[in-house]
Amino acid sequence: MKPHYEVAWNDIVSGLLQWQVWTRLGWQEVKRRYRRTVLGPFWATFSIGMFIGGMSFIWAPLFKTDVSSYLPFLSAGLVTWAFATALITEGCVTYTAGSGIITQLNFPYTVLNFMVVWRNIIVFFHNVLIVVIVILVLRVRISWETLLLIPGILIVAVNGAWMTLLFGMLGTRFRDIPPLIGNLIQILVFITPIFWLPNQLGEGHKVVTMNYMYHLIEVMRAPMLGTAPAKLSYAVTIMGAMLGWLLAFEVYARFRRRIPYWL
Amino acid sequence: MAFISVDNVTIDFPIYGAAHHSLRHTLLARTGGLIRREGMRHKRVVVRALDNISFKLQDGDRLGLIGHNGAGKSTLLKALAGVYWPDSGSIRIEGRVSPLFTSAPGLDADDSGFENIKTCGMFLGMSAEEIEYKAPEIAAFSELGEYLELPVRTYSTGMVTRLCFAIATAIDPDILLLDEGLAAGDARFAARAESRMQKFIQRTRILVLASHSDALIRSMCNRAVLMDTGQILAFGSIDEILDRYHRQNAEQAAVLA
Repeated sequence: MKPHYEVAWNDIVSGLLQWQVWTRLGWQEVKRRYRRTVLGPFWATFSIGMFIGGMSFIWAPLFKTDVSSYLPFLSAGLVTWAFATALITEGCVTYTAGSGIITQLNFPYTVLNFMVVWRNIIVFFHNVLIVVIVILVLRVRISWETLLLIPGILIVAVNGAWMTLLFGMLGTRFRDIPPLIGNLIQILVFITPIFWLPNQLGEGHKVVTMNYMYHLIEVMRAPMLGTAPAKLSYAVTIMGAMLGWLLAFEVYARFRRRIPYWL
Repeated sequence: MAFISVDNVTIDFPIYGAAHHSLRHTLLARTGGLIRREGMRHKRVVVRALDNISFKLQDGDRLGLIGHNGAGKSTLLKALAGVYWPDSGSIRIEGRVSPLFTSAPGLDADDSGFENIKTCGMFLGMSAEEIEYKAPEIAAFSELGEYLELPVRTYSTGMVTRLCFAIATAIDPDILLLDEGLAAGDARFAARAESRMQKFIQRTRILVLASHSDALIRSMCNRAVLMDTGQILAFGSIDEILDRYHRQNAEQAAVLA
């Protein structure tokens, strides 16, 4: 398939410019979750919270760590994990979920990608409540480094955007991809230091440093714990964002026009 | 000045996940585009939905698409809407295109009528201010009153059509693409829809309408094409084309009888 770079570029640019559409769609989606329920999207927050509460009492003694240092680590990590992986799993079904519009209208499909990212940012700000509570209760030291959470969210969001683009196309063409990715993520959660501390494997262990998800989590988790992320994590995730976008752009340029045929 | 220029357009649909045994039936079917098998051991199934289509339309043209189910009318409309890029050939369009197919694009059954006016309006290219300005008019025309506060899933089919219709006709396109389903709600609404439709159509420069209703085609179009298995069989005046279509039907019925 011949690449059409101009088409892909225009799609992405006009998709970004139509921020009124994708912010609205993202909010509508969250609002739908609120309807007819008391907690709405906070149900997800509640379930993560219960999980963290329960786990910390088992895992902290198991790892021989102190609950007051383990709990903030676990909650910040899990909340970030939920955000980053939702971008991937929901990214896989971006276009299949939008098939009603795609088969009726010619519009920048990236609007749907940005909508998925935006919606998950909103959901993250629901879930982050857990971390806030933990930090307040355990009086975790907050510092200026905490502000690094903002660029952290940005980095994960930009990474998430290319993932929704790439996995969105793959998931539409090959319907095995969404369940496959879902399974991989379930395994990844154990390989990535979320439940266990990265230094428990020893300093600079390959399983940790070679794991892209670890660095993605770190740029958001470290600031929430009042520390600055390692330079390596920034380098990896920023490089990853650029390479990922290049790859997604190339694939999008080649196959964007095929998406309606795949639905 | 709006125009549409369609040049030797061919569209093939790859069919994914079509099992071999179920295909035997499809291959024997009498309607639809030509089904072919390609690639290694003929595993790839392709349906030719449009086969070398060419025509030109300009300001004032109101084209009716006539043909059996699966003749390629809807695919042609969607190609004109820019949904499907042709595999070969080219489509050149000047002017703002507005499609009105099965429903308003972006319609969500869980959202209220008002929310959908906003969402669909945005998808159709209206700005937030434009929607703000036109919302009362859309609401009034839909005659849905307080129902607009309720989720669309509580609406009857006719009510949904009225809402979609009200939204889609509120914009000012140069080129309008319509796919049947215009029988909006009850008779009184249909009459009002008809008059609004006429007004709306007079404002648009080019209309392409796919329909099985002779009356609809006659009331809205000034020329027609007859389509069959993805090809254009004839291009001409409404009477000529409808005549040929019915003659063809009668012949087929005679053969089957």
